[in-house]
Amino acid sequence: MVREESGELIQGTLEMLILKALGRGPMHGYAVAEWIEQTSQQVLKVEEGALYPALHRLQLRGLLNAEWGASENNRRAKYYKLTAEGKKRLNAEAQRWARLSAAVAFVMQTS
Amino acid sequence: MALHQFLLKMWSLFRRRSMRREFAEELEFHQSLLREKLSREGVPEAELDTATSRRFGNGQRWHERLTELWRFQMLENFFRDLGFSSRLLRKSPGFTLVALSTLALGVGANTAVFSLINGLLLRPLPVPHAEQLAVLRIEEGGPEPNYEFCAPLFRGLEDRHEVFADVFAFNSDVLQVKGRSGNENIEGMLVSGQFFRALQTPPLLGRYLTPADDRRGGNPEGFAVVISEHFWEKWFARAPDVVGRKLTIANTPFTVAGVMPKRFIGADPTRNPEIYAPLSADPVIDAPRNHIEDGIHAWWLTVGARLQPGVTLDQANASLATVSLPILHQASSDADWISGEEKGHFHFLAEPGSKGFTFARLLFRKPLEAMFFMCLGILLLACLNLASLLMARGAVRERELATRLAIGASRQRLIQQLLGESLLIAVLGTAAGIAVAPLVSKSLATLLMSGPMGWHLNTSLDVRVFGFAACATVTAALLIGLVPALQATAGDVTEHIKDKQHAGKLNRRGIWPRVLLASEVGLALVLVFGAGLLATSLARLYRSGLGFNSRGLANIAFSMDKQPLEGDALVRLYQSLDDGLRQQPGVRNVSFEFIVPLSGRGWDNEFAASGAQLQRLFLNSVGPEYFATMDIPVFAGREFTWADEKASGGKITLNQSAAKLLFPGESALGRQIVDREKHSYEVVAVVGDAKYRNMRTPAPPEGYIPMQQDEQKKLSLSAVVRTDGPVNALALPARALAARLAPTIPAPVVTSVEDELKDSLSTERMMAVLSSFFAVCALLVTGIGLYGTLSYATARRTSEIGIRMALGAQRGRVMAMIFRENGLVAAIGTTAGTAAALMASKALASFLYGTSPFDPWVLVGSVTVLTVIASGASLLPALRAARIEPMAAIRCE
Repeated sequence: MVREESGELIQGTLEMLILKALGRGPMHGYAVAEWIEQTSQQVLKVEEGALYPALHRLQLRGLLNAEWGASENNRRAKYYKLTAEGKKRLNAEAQRWARLSAAVAFVMQTS
Repeated sequence: MALHQFLLKMWSLFRRRSMRREFAEELEFHQSLLREKLSREGVPEAELDTATSRRFGNGQRWHERLTELWRFQMLENFFRDLGFSSRLLRKSPGFTLVALSTLALGVGANTAVFSLINGLLLRPLPVPHAEQLAVLRIEEGGPEPNYEFCAPLFRGLEDRHEVFADVFAFNSDVLQVKGRSGNENIEGMLVSGQFFRALQTPPLLGRYLTPADDRRGGNPEGFAVVISEHFWEKWFARAPDVVGRKLTIANTPFTVAGVMPKRFIGADPTRNPEIYAPLSADPVIDAPRNHIEDGIHAWWLTVGARLQPGVTLDQANASLATVSLPILHQASSDADWISGEEKGHFHFLAEPGSKGFTFARLLFRKPLEAMFFMCLGILLLACLNLASLLMARGAVRERELATRLAIGASRQRLIQQLLGESLLIAVLGTAAGIAVAPLVSKSLATLLMSGPMGWHLNTSLDVRVFGFAACATVTAALLIGLVPALQATAGDVTEHIKDKQHAGKLNRRGIWPRVLLASEVGLALVLVFGAGLLATSLARLYRSGLGFNSRGLANIAFSMDKQPLEGDALVRLYQSLDDGLRQQPGVRNVSFEFIVPLSGRGWDNEFAASGAQLQRLFLNSVGPEYFATMDIPVFAGREFTWADEKASGGKITLNQSAAKLLFPGESALGRQIVDREKHSYEVVAVVGDAKYRNMRTPAPPEGYIPMQQDEQKKLSLSAVVRTDGPVNALALPARALAARLAPTIPAPVVTSVEDELKDSLSTERMMAVLSSFFAVCALLVTGIGLYGTLSYATARRTSEIGIRMALGAQRGRVMAMIFRENGLVAAIGTTAGTAAALMASKALASFLYGTSPFDPWVLVGSVTVLTVIASGASLLPALRAARIEPMAAIRCE
């Protein structure tokens, strides 16, 4: 899935990250992976083998729409876009994540 | 969301190829960007390809994963399983045949009986808002609810509209309608004024009957009738100007007011009237009887009602409770009768009437339910049998399944596949069963409802029947499939693979197969015992004798009530008919009777020897030489003759029971007896007892009166004819004779007394025939089950048996060992079955004649038959095992 530098897997977060990336506007798969890598300052590396199945699964579930369009260098690329449902899910996931990470941080900080 | 996914997947089904191209293009695009990035990061040109593919991995694999995502995993697996299962079934045609036919039998029988139940007990009347209908009955303290009303009580209810929108009454009747060749008997119905309004079905043509038609003498223009679409077709060739035309019914003109559409059958689901006539036309139609004038002495009406919108049945009953007594007091001036009814807490009661009302329901509900349970038994048996056979087959595939589990197949997936097989069997078997069900239910309906009542039962398939069949299929598939599937995949994986020899491992395979087989044996015993009881009861019923000889006896019913002759002139007509019939070839004797024995009809009066107490006798009016014709022995005295006229003084012939009742210990011959009205009769003969109303009741005390002395003016009698030839041969001459001597009467109806006898036992016969059929099937199925499972088990132990024999085991010992496998199961099943059978048989008690529900002989017989079948089924595999050649058996592993 998403691999941290240490190589550990963070379960179930890839889909959330993809939604987050697309929250900024339509992107193709490569751009999604790049954005996650860059924004996380190379901490999170997205495996291609996980990226595309995840994108397609989200599309099947109606959270994303896909459309073929022209890329920056004028090549045909498949662009993914959040649907209304996808936006709702992104918000829900973001809140859940905030609660979860705060809780984990709180637990870890107690001496 | 699930729908969205489904639609997208459906869409992708149609564009497989372009989808695949798009996957490739998407991945390629990513790869090329990756390559450019790597090149920017300074990877040398020569290493770019390897670096990209190292980073990206195997493109083909990602491709496959995407394709999988877009497929209907479940559905496609399912189709694959189905294909696999059908190949498996084709490979063992014997198993498949047994599986399919037992299931078809179980489902077919169930569906057939269910459609009878549906037609008689469940289907609502085809009228708008049937749920608002109610059926009215009278509670008067008797043991059975009374659904028959007399005219005064109904007329008292008719105008009570506090809770009912409409109150209606009807009575099925046979109408004499004048056709091209004289009068014909047509099935009809007398209906009260609000009948059609209550049933809310618009007429196809013209208008329906209204309260204005239900007046004495009809509406101002005379009597009107409404006819059925079928009758319109048959008599008027669908003439558009039929409304206003005349029909001559009972020699009186009636005007056709309208035509009702085919779907309308009135309020009795077992009737299909061709003509609806107003109730107040009864004095004309049923002449010379007059049910309306007979008042509280004629209980002939069925009463129904439509509730006012929003009124519940409880409210209706509360209102009925308050009006019951006032209506009772208005109905008659007979104080004795009123006080008798008051003592019985007389009141009207409304019950749900959405399904209309038929007396057939009261008669056939219990037998049908009993049969339904028998059918469920056979279906359960078929399922148990299939489950045990599949389990035995599963055991053969044990190692294959274990291997598949070991290399990663999920248990769920394997169960799915095994279920697929049973689902396939279930669907095919059920389809076959449902295909034959309509035929079976139709013939059952004819068998059950044949006879003088002329009931029709619509057994056609409808939503309820299909729903039932679908439930039966799914339940059967689950029952059949789940047990063996769980069993076959339950084992410890390594155990199965290691376990090559299976030697002595039968015990390890658990209790399930034995439980299934034992319950099969038990269930079969219950069915066989039940069938044995019913068949014994029927045989005893037949053997109990009639008191007369039914063989070669014909009944010819003449309807004389609407022709002009009466009294002595009518007697002379009967005399000419007598002469005419005697001249027919093969006819040995002819006489007449008023009550046809075993027809269910009856007539009684009270008689006393001088000074003694009144005794109730059943009566019949009969002609000369009646006892010779019927083969009833005359113990003393003489037959009636044509000379026994009214003027010669009252004469009566008693049967033995009546003679004993009236003159205990004395000779009755020549004595005088008087009836309640003080008419006196001379006893001219004592004859043998004969059954009267039906076969189940022993012959009652009975008196016979000469037909010439019967007080009815236009007596309709049946000729009884003893003939050497076939009974049917009399139909044409009888018709010709009637046409010549009494041209206005409808064609006489010729029936064979043998057939009538069968009809009067239709319920008993159907139950005995069906249950025997089921019992034979149950025995067969159980035999196949025992044989099948044992031979599978034995086949798996071939090498073990070979080794035993090589080590010196006797063939006899081997045989006994195999035989014992089933012996124990059969013994347990029989014991449990006996207990269950004795408990279940109580439910049959009311259908049995002269047979105890615990009849020990029937029980012993059933156990014996089952033991023989079980032994036979177990002996074959045992014999085969004993014939195993040790060397060949060991080598084959």
